[in-house]
Amino acid sequence: MTTTAVPAIGGDEIAAFRALHARLGDAVESAVRGKRDVVDLVLVAMFAGGHVLLEDVPGTGKTTLARAVAGALGGVSRRVQFTPDLLPSDVTGTSVYDPQTGQVRFRPGPVFANIVLADEINRAAAKTQSALLEVMEERTVTVDGVAHAVPAPFLVVATQNPIDLDGTYRLPEAQLDRFMLRTSIGYPAVEQEIEVLRPGSGAGQVGAVPTVTNPHLVAEQGRRLATLHVADPLLRYISDIGVASRGDARLRLGASTRGLRALVRCVQVYAAAQGRHFVVPGDVQALAVPVLAHRLVLTREAQLAGTTTEEVLADVLAGVAVPRPAAR
Amino acid sequence: MPAGLVAFSLVVLALVGGYWVARDSAIDSADPPAVLLDLVPRLLTAARPAPATPELLVPGALLVFGVSLVVGLAVVRGRSLVAPVVGAAVLYTCTALLTAGRADRHGLVAVGLIALVAVGWLLVDRLEAGGRVLLGLPAVPVAVVAALAVVLPAGDAFEPRELVEPPVSDLGVASPLPQLASWANLGDIELFRVRGPERAVRLVALSDYSGAAWRAASLYGPIGAVAEPDLPPGARVDEAEVEIIVGELGGRWLPTVGRPTAVTLDGAMVDPDSGSLVLRTELTPGLSYRVRGVLDVPDDADLLDATVPTTADRYLELPGLPYSLAEYARQIVQNARTPYERAVAIEQVVKQGRTPDAQAPVGSSYARLERFLFGNPGEPGANAGTAEQFASAFAVLGRAVGLPTRVVVGFQPAAGEERVVRGSDATAWPEVYFAGWGWVPFDPVAGVSSGGSSAAQKREVLDRLASVTATPTSTPLSAPPPPPLVTPSSPVAAQATSAGSQRWIGYAVLGAVPVLVLAVLGLARLVRRRRLRAAGATGAWAYVLDGLLLAGRTPPANRTAPDVAAELGSAPAVELARLAEYAAFAPRHPQRPMATAPNVGVRPSSPTHGGADHAGQHTASGSGEGESAWRLARQVRVGLRHGVRWYRRMFWAVDPRPLWRR
Repeated sequence: MTTTAVPAIGGDEIAAFRALHARLGDAVESAVRGKRDVVDLVLVAMFAGGHVLLEDVPGTGKTTLARAVAGALGGVSRRVQFTPDLLPSDVTGTSVYDPQTGQVRFRPGPVFANIVLADEINRAAAKTQSALLEVMEERTVTVDGVAHAVPAPFLVVATQNPIDLDGTYRLPEAQLDRFMLRTSIGYPAVEQEIEVLRPGSGAGQVGAVPTVTNPHLVAEQGRRLATLHVADPLLRYISDIGVASRGDARLRLGASTRGLRALVRCVQVYAAAQGRHFVVPGDVQALAVPVLAHRLVLTREAQLAGTTTEEVLADVLAGVAVPRPAAR
Repeated sequence: MPAGLVAFSLVVLALVGGYWVARDSAIDSADPPAVLLDLVPRLLTAARPAPATPELLVPGALLVFGVSLVVGLAVVRGRSLVAPVVGAAVLYTCTALLTAGRADRHGLVAVGLIALVAVGWLLVDRLEAGGRVLLGLPAVPVAVVAALAVVLPAGDAFEPRELVEPPVSDLGVASPLPQLASWANLGDIELFRVRGPERAVRLVALSDYSGAAWRAASLYGPIGAVAEPDLPPGARVDEAEVEIIVGELGGRWLPTVGRPTAVTLDGAMVDPDSGSLVLRTELTPGLSYRVRGVLDVPDDADLLDATVPTTADRYLELPGLPYSLAEYARQIVQNARTPYERAVAIEQVVKQGRTPDAQAPVGSSYARLERFLFGNPGEPGANAGTAEQFASAFAVLGRAVGLPTRVVVGFQPAAGEERVVRGSDATAWPEVYFAGWGWVPFDPVAGVSSGGSSAAQKREVLDRLASVTATPTSTPLSAPPPPPLVTPSSPVAAQATSAGSQRWIGYAVLGAVPVLVLAVLGLARLVRRRRLRAAGATGAWAYVLDGLLLAGRTPPANRTAPDVAAELGSAPAVELARLAEYAAFAPRHPQRPMATAPNVGVRPSSPTHGGADHAGQHTASGSGEGESAWRLARQVRVGLRHGVRWYRRMFWAVDPRPLWRR
């Protein structure tokens, strides 16, 4: 039906990727116990070249997860704790006068890293948030009219706390849209929690996470996976989901084309992580909520009714006919 | 079960209503079931066109009500797509059986309706839904019905009216034959007016001769009820419709053309054998009606070699025929070879030397006919008579030599669009029945063209007869009466058997239709399975989905194949779902893996498999995967089939629902 112009990925390559993905997952899981699905999601976003927003109540391991991923990935990772008085220059860096050379020199901020942990991103003022969001989208930092490129694989893992809203600045929709994926972690299951609680378990010890790969390899793999085969019926299915979300009465804003593109990108990586060189509808259903939910905007009535975008999206998914293997 | 209760009460209400409407016209008993059950036979035996009386309208109303109720219930319960179509089809079929009968012999209306329904219901519906148009789907019912219409014997169309004996009334109506003389004497009196094609208007056909007089039939039934005449109509027929405005005609006989098939008078009854129409009450001046009738119109050539049936006893009966008449008839036809020549010879002889005389004594007894034929000049009525004597003489002489004859009282056709028929136009003529060609009129009064035989042809026949006529036989008295003509075939018996077989054809058709439908459905399912089979693993999955549909476990549209398989909980299904998704969503032409792939060597690959080999191997294994997928699919289907009820399992192979699953 479809003839892909780019050379499709073969089975050997997929197997190699799957092994790498599994090693990364194992490494991260040594610090974050019992949350393999979340870990996998974050890794998917990473290979897809997108930023991740972790949203959950305090104490569920958001920061630990982000740092563990950074550790397993290797490369340069920096952490920024967002506070209300944080200034844009604290994030991006600033120009300073160097008395020795007598010149004004740019001193890079914490964003000049392969992985940036933006902790509690919604605590900073809008101005600071936008400083980060510019670099997320453009991959450059502009200070005093000079653009400085950030290192090549560049991944922001941001966390935010959904309940403690005092003194926070909600991320605007346009900025939320720049995160490829939003997910929550949730409390661990009883057995895992006991395991975490057991003294000397090693859970939460980010320092013990082995470095499995390097950011350049991840970036290379990500580029390669972008050629993974997505059959036309699946593209149509994804488009149908977008159209259906735009038509939902409870949503003021449905899924954008950028969001749908991100979904395609993510399902490619996800399928490869499952060891397949093609995407199946199940991949789309698994990733639709984490990739799309944070990009949707509820109407005021729906908000007051207590509806969440995840619920709406689940309804939308339930209403769209899935492409099935059919005799052609 | 409220829906069932409501339906039941509605049905009871409808039946009570139907009884209440029809009870006034009940004939035998006022028992509600008897009244209701009697409605259908009454509709079947009603005169056509049926008058709009309550008891005839009730069956149709009840039928429409019942079908609508069932369809409504089906729609409300959501199994709706075909219910309205089926309802309409049932309604059409029942209506056709109850009212139309043979009117639509080729079922053209039915084919048209089915095509319309197929287009409107299946095609347009799908177009509006934005779906693919499956041209094959509407084509199937249309093709089936069209094939049925072509294949089924249209000539012997099933007629439920044959199954019901129409009620007959014994009406002793006097023969108008003796009245001919009085009409002739009155002359100018206006009997009635005719509008329409110029055809001989007949009043009554008299078939029974007692030796003293001609008698009219006494049993009459509703017109339009299916009752074949005792002698079948001819092969060449013509249909005519005239409007008649009655004047001073009087009596109870209704003027008509040919064998009447429809009349616009509710009280008219017909004798199917003779085609005579009679009214229950006396005719009143000013009465106006339209009558449609069928006439036999044989060609000249048809009659030359035509035979006559020997078993038509009623039309050959001559109780106590005097020897003089028998011998006279035998001599007349001595040299005639065919029945037609005999008829022409008799016509010629009766005409020869006899004069029409309105004042001649009436009567058609043997004595009167002997006087008419052999009387000495001077005696009253010798060699002179009215049309009554001419026609009777012909008929009796014809019967004596084996020609089935009857006498018809009618009126000479005049010219013009609206014709006034006066007393002087009243006449009578004999008719001879020829096998296969029907009743053919002769005219012994004037001898001119009558019926299908032209004057020129009669001339030819007479010339030939004259050439072979030497002299009357030397021993007239010793000559035996002419033997009845033996014809090789006996059409009456043949007709009786054909009527019986026709009924069986009707039953066979009724029985064959469901069988045929089942066969077509089974075939369609087989074709679909073959198509799926050719599609490999994806087809195998579609086959399993068909099975789920048949088992009443259609998964929601948003469930992916592995989800569906997991719900089924069978290992073959899970494996099949995997194979099917592979076949459906994997790239069609897998190319060689990228040479510069990083992290190589995780999966040990055989060194003999280069990139190109890999692709080749993959496509080669495609059919193998299809095979194994189908093996799995069959396993799953068997499992599904075991889970369904027995009555569903019975129709498993012919259930049409998978045909329009997409």
